[in-house]
Amino acid sequence: MTTYILKRLGQGLLTVFLTVSTVFVLIRLAPGDPAVSYAGPLATTEQLAKVREQFGLDRPVLEQYWIFLQQLFTGNLGTSYSFQAPAMQVVAERMPYTLTLATASILLTAVVAIPLGVWMARRPDTNRELGVNVLTIAGQSMPDFWTGIMLLTGFAVLIPLFPASGFATWGGLVLPTVTIAILQIALISRMVRREMTSNFAAPYLTVARSRGVGSPALTWRYAMGNSAIPVFTALGTRFAAMLNGVVVVEVVFAWPGVGSLIVRALETRDYPLIQATVLLTALLAVAVQLVIDLAYPLLDPRVRLGKAAAA
Amino acid sequence: MSLSDTATPAASAAQPPRTPSASAVTKELVAKAGATRRRNAAKWKLRIGAVCTLIVIIPILLAQVLPLPDANHQDLSARRLAPLVDGHLFGTDQLGRDLLSRVLHGGQVSLTIGILAVVVSGAIGIILGAAAGYFGGWVDTVVSRVLEAQMSLPLLMMLLLVVALFGPSIPVITFVIAIAQWPEVARLTRSMVLVEREKPYVSAARILGLHRIQILIQHIIPNVIKQATLVVLLLLAQAVLLESALSFLGAGPQRPFATWGRIISDGQDYITTSWWMVTLPGLVIVLMVVGVNLLGDGLRDRPRRKKKGA
Repeated sequence: MTTYILKRLGQGLLTVFLTVSTVFVLIRLAPGDPAVSYAGPLATTEQLAKVREQFGLDRPVLEQYWIFLQQLFTGNLGTSYSFQAPAMQVVAERMPYTLTLATASILLTAVVAIPLGVWMARRPDTNRELGVNVLTIAGQSMPDFWTGIMLLTGFAVLIPLFPASGFATWGGLVLPTVTIAILQIALISRMVRREMTSNFAAPYLTVARSRGVGSPALTWRYAMGNSAIPVFTALGTRFAAMLNGVVVVEVVFAWPGVGSLIVRALETRDYPLIQATVLLTALLAVAVQLVIDLAYPLLDPRVRLGKAAAA
Repeated sequence: MSLSDTATPAASAAQPPRTPSASAVTKELVAKAGATRRRNAAKWKLRIGAVCTLIVIIPILLAQVLPLPDANHQDLSARRLAPLVDGHLFGTDQLGRDLLSRVLHGGQVSLTIGILAVVVSGAIGIILGAAAGYFGGWVDTVVSRVLEAQMSLPLLMMLLLVVALFGPSIPVITFVIAIAQWPEVARLTRSMVLVEREKPYVSAARILGLHRIQILIQHIIPNVIKQATLVVLLLLAQAVLLESALSFLGAGPQRPFATWGRIISDGQDYITTSWWMVTLPGLVIVLMVVGVNLLGDGLRDRPRRKKKGA
């Protein structure tokens, strides 16, 4: 068990390290000069040179990488060009907003998608199910920025029920959450349907039914019990992905999270800020993945983590 | 399910002679059976899907032929006209450009990017997935590790990064979307090749002295490619959505025509006064992506008669 956790932690940290290094290389490969975007288009050559010196951009790339690695292990990624504050601090201040939005969205998704998927699996291909099925396809076909703008217009402008942007009151959480959840519900409920249908067709269920097990127990204890791991994994993976910033929705609703931060950091070529965002979100995503894996034995007593790692 | 499997052949055998058969399976029972319902559902999905897709795709293909104003022609005296006013079916935007024309011409760019991206990602995915499944060993290890690594990367963030840094040209965006999509094809191909590899015809080919690469290309890939291409439609839908998200965030192509996401983000500022500038292009995207998704879904669910007969 401990060996397994250590091994997974090692793998996770390696992934984070590779991600951050890839971003480092990509940024340096790309055309465009961050000094120009920092100092403005009217800056003189001397000013540009000074800016480059200040941020160490005039040094050889390998030396920059070495400095970057040192910063990485001390947890200090330098000062953000545009915020004039430690980059890690800027990202850390935004993180709770993204966390709130992601948690609310995944809870709403789980509460709606699992019963909906089960409902569909219990009456596959009937007319009603076909209707809902087409609706879920529509749900996964709507671009989230468009859904967002439509909800915004409908429920913040025409019928002013909720605030249009930002996170001043809890009401501001509703529209972005619903926007994200529409897509996620469509994806997860279809996945639940798929898992449950294959479990309903499995021989063990026929055996259980012939022994006289009631319908609710068949659905929830037998079929759901065996679908729990894939469904939980899907929910967890989606949650981890959301921590990387629900970029589009955050931009639409001017949500002060990590997603809208990264868009701004990219526009201004704010190297330290880009690096800090990628580092923090990647670390969080890896942590969530690890928690998901550790939860498997709770969902399915047959899973033994240590043995899985050895095999 | 088990009931329907026995019911269908009995019914099809009973129908042609038109003689009263001794079977207890009536037409009503057949119509209610799971397999029949499944086939009907697939049929309806295919029909609705085809209609939705064609409604969008045919005008896009004919955009140059249709009598439409130039998509980039500005007419400041005809700014933000509502739909159906002055012959503008979708109305005009804040610069007096015909919205329908913009949507159709932008759609050509979106579709081109989507199709190219799917072709590229399909090619990469099938080649690498097949190689990983067939050769196993270190090839499999490398491909699988890359797949896993990409799963844990912050995808949209990386795509935005690449486009923001290398410029929103059509090749860059196509490449970026292809990179985002190849894992799905690769994983599917790999799992199918793992099954094919163990079949007798592969051993036979090996005994005949064929080279391993020849076996893979001439014998295994033709057997899996049909199923692999079914995913392509679903990927095309995703590609169109991904491209529109990128161009909404300002990382979309500008030339020759702005694509769908860009048109919507332009119209966002006028949403309270000119609803059509956001709503209509969005509906076009939804209609087309729903259509393509339904087609993909229906094709996947459709019972494959040839295989059952063989």
